[in-house]
Amino acid sequence: MSAQPNLLEKVIAFVDERVGLKTLQAKMLHEPVPGGSRWAYVFGSCLLFIFIMQVVTGILLMFYYVPSADHAYASTQYIIHEVDYGWFILSYHFWGSSAMVVMVFAHMSQVFLWGAYKSPREMIWLVGLALFGIVMAFGFTGYLLPWDQRAYWATTVGVEIMDKAPIVGDFLARFLKGGPTPGQMTLSRFFVIHVMILPAALMGLAGLHLFLFRKAGPAGPFRGTPDELKAKTDYFFPRQVWKDMVAMGAVFATICSLAFIEPVVLLEEATPDPGEYHPEPEWYFLFLFQLLRLKIFSGEFGQFLGGVAIPGAFMVLLAALPFIDRSPERNIFKRPVALVGWILIMTSILIFTVSAIINREFLD
Amino acid sequence: MTAQPSQLSPVKLGFAVAWPAFWTGVPIKIVLGLLLLAMGQHPWEFPGLAFLLLLSIPVDIWAVGLTGRTVFLERLGLQPQASLGLTLWWQGAALYATYGSLACFLGRQTIASSQAVAAKIMDMELLKAVPVAERISIELTLWGSVSAVVLLALMLGGLFLFGKLVQRQADAASPASAPYEARVHQWDLMRVPADQPLMLTVFTATGVALVLLLWAFMPVTTPHPHESYKQDEKKAAPALKPTEALQKAERVLTQAEASVQALEAKAKKSKGKAAAPDKKAAAKPKKA
Repeated sequence: MSAQPNLLEKVIAFVDERVGLKTLQAKMLHEPVPGGSRWAYVFGSCLLFIFIMQVVTGILLMFYYVPSADHAYASTQYIIHEVDYGWFILSYHFWGSSAMVVMVFAHMSQVFLWGAYKSPREMIWLVGLALFGIVMAFGFTGYLLPWDQRAYWATTVGVEIMDKAPIVGDFLARFLKGGPTPGQMTLSRFFVIHVMILPAALMGLAGLHLFLFRKAGPAGPFRGTPDELKAKTDYFFPRQVWKDMVAMGAVFATICSLAFIEPVVLLEEATPDPGEYHPEPEWYFLFLFQLLRLKIFSGEFGQFLGGVAIPGAFMVLLAALPFIDRSPERNIFKRPVALVGWILIMTSILIFTVSAIINREFLD
Repeated sequence: MTAQPSQLSPVKLGFAVAWPAFWTGVPIKIVLGLLLLAMGQHPWEFPGLAFLLLLSIPVDIWAVGLTGRTVFLERLGLQPQASLGLTLWWQGAALYATYGSLACFLGRQTIASSQAVAAKIMDMELLKAVPVAERISIELTLWGSVSAVVLLALMLGGLFLFGKLVQRQADAASPASAPYEARVHQWDLMRVPADQPLMLTVFTATGVALVLLLWAFMPVTTPHPHESYKQDEKKAAPALKPTEALQKAERVLTQAEASVQALEAKAKKSKGKAAAPDKKAAAKPKKA
C-alpha cells in the first residue's frame, strides 16, 4: 500500500510539474567534479556569496543614503551614528568590497596556476577578466559615495589617471566628472554606475560565466593518474557544496571581524582643498599609485606609460593568454615561465603596496 | 598511487598534514574570534586571547587528527592509530613551544638586522641621490628578500621537524589492507557524514544560531563615533496607550460637562436673583 503524499510533497510536485524543479536540481547539484571536491575550488562560490551580501547590504544602505553633494556626507554620518546597526552594515559593505577584490585575485590565481584557462575554457577566462574589471569598477565608484576627503581625492586621482588613456580617456574623464571639479554630477553618475549599471553587468556576465563553466565542465586537478582521478570523481553535491558552505561561513566571519576591528570612520566632508590630507586611492590600487611616483614614470608620457600603457598591456596579455599558451600541459611545476611570472607579479604588487604605505611617513 | 613514508621527505610529509590542518581549524577559530569581538573582547588581548587559545585546543586536536588520518590512508596506504590526532597535537605543541619560540626570535632578529643593513646601504654617498619612492622600494626589496629567505628556511626547518614526528607515527602504523577506492571512501566519510540532509540541517541551524548570537552581542550604535559629529539629543516621546488615553479623555470630558452644568446652574440661579431686585426697582420710582 503506497502512502499518501503530504502537503509539502504535493506542493513540490505541483511546482515540479510546472517548472521542472527536479531536473533543475539534478543539473545544479549532480555535476561531476573530476578528481573530487577540493578547497581550491571554493573561490568562485565565495565570490558569488560576497556579491550577494554586497547587494543585500547595499540595498539596506540605500534606504538612508542620499546621493547629493549636499547630503551624501551627512546621510552617511547619520547611517553610522543614528541608524540601528548602520555602522556595522556600512562597515560590512566597505570590507566586503575589499574581500571581493582579494577573492577575485585568489580565483584568477587558482585558474592560472591550475592551467584551467586552456582549451576548451578560453571563453570562461575572457568573461572572468571582464568580471575582474567590473569588480575593480565597483570599488572605484563606491569609494566616492561617502563624500569625505578620502573619497573626493581618491576619485580625483583616479579620474586624472583615466584621463591619460588614449582616444577614450578624455571623454571618460569628462563624462565621469561632469564638470571641471568633482561635484553633484560626479556623485550622481558614480551612484548610477555603482547601483544600476555595474550590478546589472555583473549579474549578466556572472550568469554567462557559470553557463560556460557548466558547458565545458570543471578542469579538475592538474596532477594524478586517470585511475586516481576516476576513483575520486564525485558530484558537486554534497562534498563540494559542504566545502563551499564552510568557506562562505569563514569569509562572512572574516568580513564581520574586520568590520568590528576597523569600522568605517569618515574624514572631514569633501572640499576642493585637500588641506593636510594626502590623496591616495583604495589599498588595491596603491601599487599602481606608488608605481606612478617613480622617477621613470614622471612627466606626461611617464604617467601615461605607468598609469595606462603598462596596466593596459598587462590586461591584453592576460586576455591573449589562452591563445598564446596552447600547450596542453596544466601542471604548474612543469610550466616554469607561468610560475615565475606569477611569483614576480604578486611580489611586485606586494612590494609596491607596502612601499606606498611606508611612503605615507615621508609625506607628513 | 600510494607512497611509503620513507619515500616522502619529512618536509613534504609535515606540509601534507600541517597545511590542511591549519585551514581546517581556521574557520572555527574565526567564528570564535568574531563572537569575542561582538562581545567587546579582543581576541589578541588577555581574557579574549586565553579564551580563544583554550577553545582552540580541541579544534586543533580534531583538525590534526582528521588531516593526519587522510594522509595516512590516501597517500601512505597505512591504517592510522586511533590516537593520531592527540599524539601529533601534543608533540606539535611541544615543538612549537621550543622551535617556534626560537624561530620567532631569529625571525625578529633577522628582520631588524636586515632593515638596519639595508638602511646603511641606502645611506651610502653613492645612493643619496636616489629619489624617495625608489629608495623605499629598493630598501624594502633588500631587507624583505633577506627576511623572506630566512623565514622560509625557518619554516622549512619547522616542517622538517614536524614531518619527522609524523614519520615516527607512520613507521609505527600497520599497512591498510583495503583497496585504494575503499580507502578513499573511508577518509571521505571522515570528512562528510553519510546522512547529508542531517548534516546540512545541523550546519544551517548552527549558522543561524551563530548569526543570532552575533546580532544579540553587537552594539546598536557605532563604538567609534566621529569626533565632530553631534549626536541628536532628542527626548523620546512618551509611548501612547490608547485605552488610557481614551479613559483620560472621557474623564476630562465628564469633568468638563459637570463644570459646564454647574456653571449653567449657577448662571440660572444668579439670573433668578438678579431678576427679583429688578422688579422691585421697576416698582420704585427713580430719583431725579
